[in-house]
Amino acid sequence: MLKQKTSANTTETVFTDQVVITAVDDENSAFARLSASLAEIRKLKGVLGYILRSNTSATLDFDEPEKITENAILSSRIHDSCQEITKQFNLGQTESVLVEGENVKVLCMSIGENNISVFMEKNATHSGIIKRILI
Amino acid sequence: MTENYSTALQTIINEFKNITPEITNTFIFNKNCEIKASTETVTENQSRKLINAFNDFADHAETIGGVDTLTIQGANSQLSITSMNNYFLVNVSSRSADEKIVEMLTRVIVPTVVKLVDQIPELSGNELSQAKNPEVKPVEEIVLPDKQATQSEPVTAIPEMSASFSSEPILPEPPVNQFMIEKIGGLLVPCDIVRIDSEVIAKWHDIYGDKEITQVHIETLEGKAIMCGFKPIKEASNNGKGIIQFPEKVMQALQTSKGKLVIVKPVITRQGEKSAEAKNKRKHN
Repeated sequence: MLKQKTSANTTETVFTDQVVITAVDDENSAFARLSASLAEIRKLKGVLGYILRSNTSATLDFDEPEKITENAILSSRIHDSCQEITKQFNLGQTESVLVEGENVKVLCMSIGENNISVFMEKNATHSGIIKRILI
Repeated sequence: MTENYSTALQTIINEFKNITPEITNTFIFNKNCEIKASTETVTENQSRKLINAFNDFADHAETIGGVDTLTIQGANSQLSITSMNNYFLVNVSSRSADEKIVEMLTRVIVPTVVKLVDQIPELSGNELSQAKNPEVKPVEEIVLPDKQATQSEPVTAIPEMSASFSSEPILPEPPVNQFMIEKIGGLLVPCDIVRIDSEVIAKWHDIYGDKEITQVHIETLEGKAIMCGFKPIKEASNNGKGIIQFPEKVMQALQTSKGKLVIVKPVITRQGEKSAEAKNKRKHN
Protein backbone atom coordinates (compact mmCIF):
# COMPACT_ATOMS: atom_id res chain seq x y z
CA MET A 1 0.00 0.00 0.00
CA LEU A 2 1.15 3.47 -0.85
CA LYS A 3 1.04 6.40 1.48
CA GLN A 4 1.58 9.79 -0.10
CA LYS A 5 1.72 13.14 1.63
CA THR A 6 1.76 16.33 -0.41
CA SER A 7 2.06 19.97 0.56
CA ALA A 8 2.74 23.11 -1.43
CA ASN A 9 6.50 22.63 -1.06
CA THR A 10 7.17 18.94 -0.39
CA THR A 11 6.05 15.58 -1.71
CA GLU A 12 6.80 12.45 0.25
CA THR A 13 5.92 8.90 -0.71
CA VAL A 14 6.11 6.06 1.79
CA PHE A 15 5.31 2.41 1.18
CA THR A 16 3.49 0.84 4.10
CA ASP A 17 1.32 -2.25 4.59
CA GLN A 18 -1.79 -0.24 3.62
CA VAL A 19 -2.71 1.45 0.37
CA VAL A 20 -3.23 5.06 1.29
CA ILE A 21 -2.69 8.06 -0.92
CA THR A 22 -2.63 11.20 1.15
CA ALA A 23 -2.33 14.79 0.16
CA VAL A 24 -2.35 17.31 2.95
CA ASP A 25 -2.48 21.07 2.72
CA ASP A 26 -0.90 22.21 5.97
CA GLU A 27 -2.63 25.55 5.79
CA ASN A 28 -6.02 23.99 5.79
CA SER A 29 -6.68 23.23 9.44
CA ALA A 30 -10.24 22.11 8.70
CA PHE A 31 -8.83 19.60 6.29
CA ALA A 32 -6.41 18.33 8.94
CA ARG A 33 -9.15 18.08 11.53
CA LEU A 34 -11.45 16.20 9.15
CA SER A 35 -8.60 13.97 8.11
CA ALA A 36 -8.06 12.99 11.74
CA SER A 37 -11.76 12.37 12.27
CA LEU A 38 -12.00 10.21 9.16
CA ALA A 39 -8.93 8.22 10.20
CA GLU A 40 -10.85 7.33 13.38
CA ILE A 41 -14.08 6.64 11.47
CA ARG A 42 -12.08 4.39 9.16
CA LYS A 43 -11.47 2.04 12.09
CA LEU A 44 -15.21 1.52 12.66
CA LYS A 45 -16.67 -1.83 11.74
CA GLY A 46 -18.31 -1.79 8.31
CA VAL A 47 -16.42 1.27 7.01
CA LEU A 48 -14.70 0.29 3.76
CA GLY A 49 -12.84 3.50 3.08
CA TYR A 50 -13.11 7.22 2.60
CA ILE A 51 -12.17 10.14 0.40
CA LEU A 52 -11.48 13.61 1.71
CA ARG A 53 -10.91 16.21 -0.97
CA SER A 54 -10.30 19.96 -0.86
CA ASN A 55 -9.43 22.31 -3.69
CA THR A 56 -5.75 21.52 -3.31
CA SER A 57 -5.45 18.19 -1.51
CA ALA A 58 -7.01 14.78 -1.16
CA THR A 59 -6.84 11.82 1.21
CA LEU A 60 -8.02 8.40 0.14
CA ASP A 61 -8.02 5.24 2.19
CA PHE A 62 -9.70 2.03 1.00
CA ASP A 63 -9.64 -1.66 1.81
CA GLU A 64 -9.53 -2.47 -1.89
CA PRO A 65 -6.91 -0.30 -3.63
CA GLU A 66 -8.04 -1.46 -7.07
CA LYS A 67 -11.31 0.36 -6.51
CA ILE A 68 -9.75 3.71 -5.60
CA THR A 69 -10.15 5.23 -9.06
CA GLU A 70 -13.72 4.05 -9.53
CA ASN A 71 -14.69 5.23 -6.06
CA ALA A 72 -13.01 8.61 -6.60
CA ILE A 73 -14.89 9.15 -9.86
CA LEU A 74 -18.20 8.11 -8.28
CA SER A 75 -17.60 10.37 -5.27
CA SER A 76 -16.84 13.34 -7.49
CA ARG A 77 -19.93 12.75 -9.63
CA ILE A 78 -22.18 12.41 -6.60
CA HIS A 79 -20.99 15.74 -5.19
CA ASP A 80 -21.46 17.54 -8.52
CA SER A 81 -24.84 15.96 -9.34
CA CYS A 82 -26.26 16.60 -5.90
CA GLN A 83 -25.26 20.25 -6.07
CA GLU A 84 -27.32 20.55 -9.25
CA ILE A 85 -30.29 18.67 -7.78
CA THR A 86 -30.17 20.73 -4.58
CA LYS A 87 -30.19 23.92 -6.63
CA GLN A 88 -33.10 22.80 -8.82
CA PHE A 89 -35.34 21.87 -5.91
CA ASN A 90 -34.26 24.60 -3.46
CA LEU A 91 -33.29 22.11 -0.79
CA GLY A 92 -31.09 24.64 0.97
CA GLN A 93 -27.52 23.97 1.99
CA THR A 94 -26.75 20.26 1.64
CA GLU A 95 -26.10 18.59 4.97
CA SER A 96 -25.60 15.04 3.78
CA VAL A 97 -26.09 12.79 0.77
CA LEU A 98 -26.55 9.06 1.07
CA VAL A 99 -26.32 6.82 -1.97
CA GLU A 100 -27.21 3.20 -1.34
CA GLY A 101 -26.12 0.53 -3.78
CA GLU A 102 -26.84 -3.16 -3.64
CA ASN A 103 -24.11 -3.95 -1.13
CA VAL A 104 -22.36 -0.69 -0.34
CA LYS A 105 -23.54 2.79 0.60
CA VAL A 106 -21.73 6.08 0.30
CA LEU A 107 -22.19 8.98 2.67
CA CYS A 108 -21.18 12.29 1.12
CA MET A 109 -20.87 15.59 3.00
CA SER A 110 -19.42 18.99 2.27
CA ILE A 111 -17.76 20.89 5.10
CA GLY A 112 -16.65 24.26 3.80
CA GLU A 113 -14.51 23.54 0.77
CA ASN A 114 -13.87 19.96 1.80
CA ASN A 115 -15.82 17.14 0.23
CA ILE A 116 -16.07 13.90 2.18
CA SER A 117 -17.20 10.48 0.95
CA VAL A 118 -17.34 7.55 3.32
CA PHE A 119 -17.89 4.13 1.76
CA MET A 120 -19.42 1.57 4.09
CA GLU A 121 -21.27 -1.69 4.16
CA LYS A 122 -25.00 -1.28 3.65
CA ASN A 123 -25.86 -2.35 7.19
CA ALA A 124 -23.44 0.09 8.80
CA THR A 125 -24.97 3.02 10.73
CA HIS A 126 -24.31 6.22 8.83
CA SER A 127 -26.05 8.58 11.28
CA GLY A 128 -23.31 8.05 13.85
CA ILE A 129 -20.68 8.84 11.23
CA ILE A 130 -22.43 12.12 10.33
CA LYS A 131 -22.30 13.15 13.99
CA ARG A 132 -18.64 12.27 14.27
CA ILE A 133 -17.78 14.28 11.17
CA LEU A 134 -19.72 17.32 12.42
CA ILE A 135 -18.08 17.31 15.89
CA MET B 1 -45.87 0.75 -19.55
CA THR B 2 -49.48 1.20 -20.54
CA GLU B 3 -51.52 4.38 -20.15
CA ASN B 4 -53.51 2.68 -17.39
CA TYR B 5 -50.30 1.91 -15.56
CA SER B 6 -49.27 5.58 -15.74
CA THR B 7 -52.69 6.63 -14.49
CA ALA B 8 -52.40 4.25 -11.56
CA LEU B 9 -49.01 5.71 -10.60
CA GLN B 10 -50.34 9.23 -11.03
CA THR B 11 -53.23 8.43 -8.70
CA ILE B 12 -50.87 7.11 -6.06
CA ILE B 13 -48.54 10.09 -6.10
CA ASN B 14 -51.48 12.51 -6.08
CA GLU B 15 -52.50 10.91 -2.78
CA PHE B 16 -49.09 11.63 -1.23
CA LYS B 17 -50.04 15.21 -0.55
CA ASN B 18 -53.16 14.06 1.31
CA ILE B 19 -51.18 11.66 3.45
CA THR B 20 -48.34 14.06 4.24
CA PRO B 21 -48.82 17.71 3.25
CA GLU B 22 -45.07 18.22 3.79
CA ILE B 23 -44.44 16.32 0.56
CA THR B 24 -43.99 19.04 -2.04
CA ASN B 25 -42.88 17.34 -5.26
CA THR B 26 -43.12 13.79 -6.53
CA PHE B 27 -42.50 12.23 -9.90
CA ILE B 28 -41.66 8.89 -11.47
CA PHE B 29 -39.35 8.33 -14.41
CA ASN B 30 -38.14 5.21 -16.13
CA LYS B 31 -34.74 4.01 -17.30
CA ASN B 32 -35.38 5.65 -20.69
CA CYS B 33 -35.67 8.97 -18.86
CA GLU B 34 -39.39 9.23 -19.63
CA ILE B 35 -41.52 10.86 -16.95
CA LYS B 36 -44.42 8.53 -16.22
CA ALA B 37 -46.23 10.41 -13.46
CA SER B 38 -45.68 13.73 -11.79
CA THR B 39 -47.29 16.16 -9.39
CA GLU B 40 -48.22 19.54 -10.87
CA THR B 41 -45.58 21.24 -8.73
CA VAL B 42 -42.69 19.72 -10.69
CA THR B 43 -41.66 21.61 -13.80
CA GLU B 44 -40.36 19.91 -16.92
CA ASN B 45 -37.05 21.73 -16.53
CA GLN B 46 -36.61 20.58 -12.94
CA SER B 47 -37.31 16.95 -13.72
CA ARG B 48 -35.07 16.94 -16.80
CA LYS B 49 -32.15 18.42 -14.90
CA LEU B 50 -32.61 15.99 -12.03
CA ILE B 51 -32.71 13.00 -14.37
CA ASN B 52 -29.54 14.16 -16.14
CA ALA B 53 -27.74 14.76 -12.86
CA PHE B 54 -28.88 11.41 -11.50
CA ASN B 55 -27.79 9.51 -14.60
CA ASP B 56 -24.46 11.30 -14.49
CA PHE B 57 -23.41 9.53 -11.30
CA ALA B 58 -25.62 6.42 -11.60
CA ASP B 59 -23.58 5.47 -14.66
CA HIS B 60 -20.51 5.24 -12.42
CA ALA B 61 -22.19 3.44 -9.53
CA GLU B 62 -21.26 -0.09 -10.56
CA THR B 63 -18.59 -0.09 -7.89
CA ILE B 64 -21.31 -0.01 -5.18
CA GLY B 65 -23.74 -2.29 -7.04
CA GLY B 66 -25.84 0.36 -8.79
CA VAL B 67 -28.09 2.90 -7.11
CA ASP B 68 -30.96 1.64 -4.98
CA THR B 69 -31.68 4.93 -3.25
CA LEU B 70 -30.33 8.45 -3.07
CA THR B 71 -31.19 10.73 -0.17
CA ILE B 72 -30.19 14.38 -0.05
CA GLN B 73 -30.72 16.14 3.26
CA GLY B 74 -30.85 19.87 2.67
CA ALA B 75 -31.24 22.59 5.29
CA ASN B 76 -34.93 23.10 4.40
CA SER B 77 -35.99 20.05 2.47
CA GLN B 78 -34.98 16.51 1.68
CA LEU B 79 -35.05 14.69 -1.64
CA SER B 80 -35.04 10.98 -2.23
CA ILE B 81 -34.79 8.87 -5.35
CA THR B 82 -35.85 5.26 -4.98
CA SER B 83 -35.21 2.63 -7.60
CA MET B 84 -38.19 0.37 -8.35
CA ASN B 85 -37.41 -2.26 -11.00
CA ASN B 86 -37.17 -0.13 -14.14
CA TYR B 87 -38.56 3.03 -12.56
CA PHE B 88 -37.34 5.70 -10.18
CA LEU B 89 -39.51 7.53 -7.69
CA VAL B 90 -38.40 11.06 -6.82
CA ASN B 91 -39.84 12.62 -3.72
CA VAL B 92 -39.20 16.04 -2.19
CA SER B 93 -40.48 16.86 1.27
CA SER B 94 -39.86 19.39 3.96
CA ARG B 95 -37.55 18.38 6.81
CA SER B 96 -40.52 18.59 9.17
CA ALA B 97 -42.25 15.67 7.41
CA ASP B 98 -42.65 12.50 9.40
CA GLU B 99 -39.63 10.50 8.31
CA LYS B 100 -41.31 7.16 8.91
CA ILE B 101 -44.33 8.01 6.76
CA VAL B 102 -42.21 9.37 3.93
CA GLU B 103 -39.99 6.31 4.06
CA MET B 104 -43.00 3.99 4.15
CA LEU B 105 -44.49 5.69 1.08
CA THR B 106 -41.32 5.92 -0.97
CA ARG B 107 -39.58 2.74 0.03
CA VAL B 108 -42.43 0.35 0.70
CA ILE B 109 -45.84 1.29 -0.70
CA VAL B 110 -45.05 2.64 -4.16
CA PRO B 111 -42.29 0.08 -4.90
CA THR B 112 -44.64 -2.71 -3.80
CA VAL B 113 -47.45 -1.42 -6.02
CA VAL B 114 -45.08 -1.16 -8.99
CA LYS B 115 -43.80 -4.68 -8.33
CA LEU B 116 -47.32 -6.08 -8.10
CA VAL B 117 -48.52 -4.31 -11.24
CA ASP B 118 -45.43 -5.57 -13.08
CA GLN B 119 -46.34 -9.13 -12.15
CA ILE B 120 -49.79 -8.87 -13.73
CA PRO B 121 -49.39 -9.86 -17.36
CA GLU B 122 -50.74 -7.28 -19.72
CA LEU B 123 -53.88 -8.54 -21.49
CA SER B 124 -54.88 -7.28 -24.87
CA GLY B 125 -58.43 -6.01 -25.29
CA ASN B 126 -59.53 -9.26 -26.93
CA GLU B 127 -57.95 -11.44 -24.27
CA LEU B 128 -59.52 -9.27 -21.60
CA SER B 129 -63.01 -9.67 -23.02
CA GLN B 130 -62.49 -13.43 -23.22
CA ALA B 131 -61.38 -13.48 -19.63
CA LYS B 132 -64.47 -11.55 -18.61
CA ASN B 133 -66.86 -13.79 -20.60
CA PRO B 134 -65.46 -17.30 -20.52
CA GLU B 135 -66.92 -19.34 -23.33
CA VAL B 136 -69.05 -22.19 -22.03
CA LYS B 137 -69.92 -24.82 -24.58
CA PRO B 138 -73.55 -25.78 -24.32
CA VAL B 139 -73.64 -29.39 -23.31
CA GLU B 140 -76.69 -29.97 -25.49
CA GLU B 141 -74.38 -29.71 -28.47
CA ILE B 142 -72.30 -32.56 -27.18
CA VAL B 143 -74.84 -34.79 -25.49
CA LEU B 144 -77.23 -36.30 -27.99
CA PRO B 145 -80.92 -36.22 -27.08
CA ASP B 146 -82.12 -39.51 -25.73
CA LYS B 147 -85.59 -40.79 -25.08
CA GLN B 148 -84.75 -41.35 -21.46
CA ALA B 149 -83.38 -37.86 -21.16
CA THR B 150 -86.79 -36.34 -21.71
CA GLN B 151 -88.08 -38.06 -18.61
CA SER B 152 -85.56 -36.54 -16.30
CA GLU B 153 -83.78 -33.25 -15.65
CA PRO B 154 -82.11 -32.04 -18.84
CA VAL B 155 -78.36 -31.45 -18.85
CA THR B 156 -77.87 -27.72 -19.33
CA ALA B 157 -74.99 -25.42 -19.91
CA ILE B 158 -73.87 -23.25 -17.03
CA PRO B 159 -75.71 -19.93 -17.19
CA GLU B 160 -73.58 -16.83 -17.44
CA MET B 161 -72.78 -15.14 -14.19
CA SER B 162 -74.99 -12.16 -13.56
CA ALA B 163 -73.67 -9.03 -11.96
CA SER B 164 -77.09 -8.00 -10.66
CA PHE B 165 -77.80 -7.94 -6.96
CA SER B 166 -80.99 -8.95 -5.23
CA SER B 167 -82.41 -8.51 -1.78
CA GLU B 168 -82.39 -12.28 -1.15
CA PRO B 169 -80.89 -13.41 2.12
CA ILE B 170 -77.31 -14.50 1.62
CA LEU B 171 -77.09 -18.26 1.34
CA PRO B 172 -74.06 -20.15 2.60
CA GLU B 173 -71.43 -20.92 -0.02
CA PRO B 174 -72.17 -24.30 -1.65
CA PRO B 175 -69.91 -26.98 -0.18
CA VAL B 176 -67.38 -28.28 -2.66
CA ASN B 177 -66.72 -32.01 -2.84
CA GLN B 178 -64.17 -33.90 -4.84
CA PHE B 179 -65.07 -37.32 -6.20
CA MET B 180 -63.50 -40.00 -8.33
CA ILE B 181 -65.43 -40.95 -11.46
CA GLU B 182 -66.94 -44.38 -11.78
CA LYS B 183 -68.83 -45.39 -14.86
CA ILE B 184 -72.40 -46.62 -14.78
CA GLY B 185 -74.35 -48.08 -17.66
CA GLY B 186 -77.40 -50.11 -18.49
CA LEU B 187 -80.73 -49.67 -20.17
CA LEU B 188 -82.45 -48.05 -17.23
CA VAL B 189 -79.67 -45.57 -16.52
CA PRO B 190 -80.59 -42.01 -17.60
CA CYS B 191 -77.82 -40.59 -19.72
CA ASP B 192 -77.74 -37.19 -18.02
CA ILE B 193 -78.13 -38.08 -14.36
CA VAL B 194 -75.10 -38.62 -12.17
CA ARG B 195 -75.21 -40.57 -8.96
CA ILE B 196 -73.75 -39.08 -5.80
CA ASP B 197 -73.02 -40.40 -2.32
CA SER B 198 -76.28 -40.23 -0.35
CA GLU B 199 -74.46 -38.97 2.76
CA VAL B 200 -73.18 -35.99 0.79
CA ILE B 201 -76.69 -35.23 -0.49
CA ALA B 202 -78.01 -35.44 3.08
CA LYS B 203 -75.39 -32.91 4.18
CA TRP B 204 -76.48 -30.50 1.43
CA HIS B 205 -80.06 -30.75 2.63
CA ASP B 206 -78.92 -30.06 6.18
CA ILE B 207 -77.20 -26.87 5.04
CA TYR B 208 -79.96 -25.53 2.78
CA GLY B 209 -83.01 -26.80 4.68
CA ASP B 210 -86.12 -26.74 2.52
CA LYS B 211 -84.37 -25.39 -0.56
CA GLU B 212 -84.75 -27.90 -3.32
CA ILE B 213 -81.53 -29.02 -4.93
CA THR B 214 -82.17 -30.50 -8.33
CA GLN B 215 -78.85 -30.02 -10.07
CA VAL B 216 -75.17 -30.20 -9.39
CA HIS B 217 -72.27 -28.30 -10.90
CA ILE B 218 -69.49 -30.64 -11.98
CA GLU B 219 -66.07 -29.43 -12.99
CA THR B 220 -63.08 -31.43 -14.11
CA LEU B 221 -59.54 -30.53 -13.07
CA GLU B 222 -59.00 -29.43 -16.67
CA GLY B 223 -61.69 -26.79 -16.27
CA LYS B 224 -64.58 -28.40 -18.23
CA ALA B 225 -67.85 -27.86 -16.42
CA ILE B 226 -71.51 -28.84 -16.74
CA MET B 227 -74.65 -28.75 -14.67
CA CYS B 228 -76.85 -31.80 -14.57
CA GLY B 229 -79.39 -33.67 -12.48
CA PHE B 230 -78.35 -36.14 -9.83
CA LYS B 231 -79.61 -39.04 -7.75
CA PRO B 232 -78.15 -40.88 -4.80
CA ILE B 233 -75.98 -43.91 -5.43
CA LYS B 234 -78.18 -47.01 -5.25
CA GLU B 235 -75.74 -49.52 -3.84
CA ALA B 236 -75.13 -48.87 -0.14
CA SER B 237 -71.69 -50.44 -0.46
CA ASN B 238 -70.61 -47.66 -2.84
CA ASN B 239 -71.50 -44.89 -0.39
CA GLY B 240 -68.73 -43.28 1.62
CA LYS B 241 -66.10 -44.23 -0.94
CA GLY B 242 -65.72 -40.77 -2.44
CA ILE B 243 -66.98 -41.79 -5.86
CA ILE B 244 -69.42 -40.29 -8.32
CA GLN B 245 -71.11 -42.41 -10.94
CA PHE B 246 -71.22 -41.01 -14.46
CA PRO B 247 -73.14 -42.31 -17.46
CA GLU B 248 -71.20 -42.41 -20.72
CA LYS B 249 -72.80 -39.22 -22.11
CA VAL B 250 -71.77 -37.08 -19.15
CA MET B 251 -68.25 -38.42 -19.37
CA GLN B 252 -68.16 -37.47 -23.04
CA ALA B 253 -69.54 -34.03 -22.28
CA LEU B 254 -66.78 -33.43 -19.73
CA GLN B 255 -64.19 -35.15 -21.89
CA THR B 256 -63.11 -37.19 -18.93
CA SER B 257 -62.87 -40.86 -18.02
CA LYS B 258 -63.17 -43.36 -15.21
CA GLY B 259 -60.80 -42.86 -12.28
CA LYS B 260 -60.36 -39.11 -12.83
CA LEU B 261 -61.29 -36.52 -10.23
CA VAL B 262 -64.10 -33.99 -10.48
CA ILE B 263 -65.25 -31.15 -8.24
CA VAL B 264 -68.95 -31.20 -7.43
CA LYS B 265 -71.15 -28.64 -5.72
CA PRO B 266 -74.91 -28.31 -5.40
CA VAL B 267 -76.72 -25.68 -7.46
CA ILE B 268 -78.91 -23.52 -5.29
CA THR B 269 -81.31 -21.51 -7.41
CA ARG B 270 -84.21 -19.19 -6.78
CA GLN B 271 -86.27 -21.59 -8.89
CA GLY B 272 -85.41 -24.43 -6.56
CA GLU B 273 -86.52 -22.34 -3.65
CA LYS B 274 -89.85 -21.50 -5.31
CA SER B 275 -90.64 -25.08 -6.17
CA ALA B 276 -89.90 -26.06 -2.59
CA GLU B 277 -92.35 -23.41 -1.41
CA ALA B 278 -94.98 -24.71 -3.85
CA LYS B 279 -94.47 -28.22 -2.53
CA ASN B 280 -94.92 -26.98 1.02
CA LYS B 281 -98.15 -25.20 0.05
CA ARG B 282 -99.52 -28.32 -1.55
CA LYS B 283 -98.70 -30.25 1.61
CA HIS B 284 -100.60 -27.72 3.75
CA ASN B 285 -103.61 -27.80 1.45
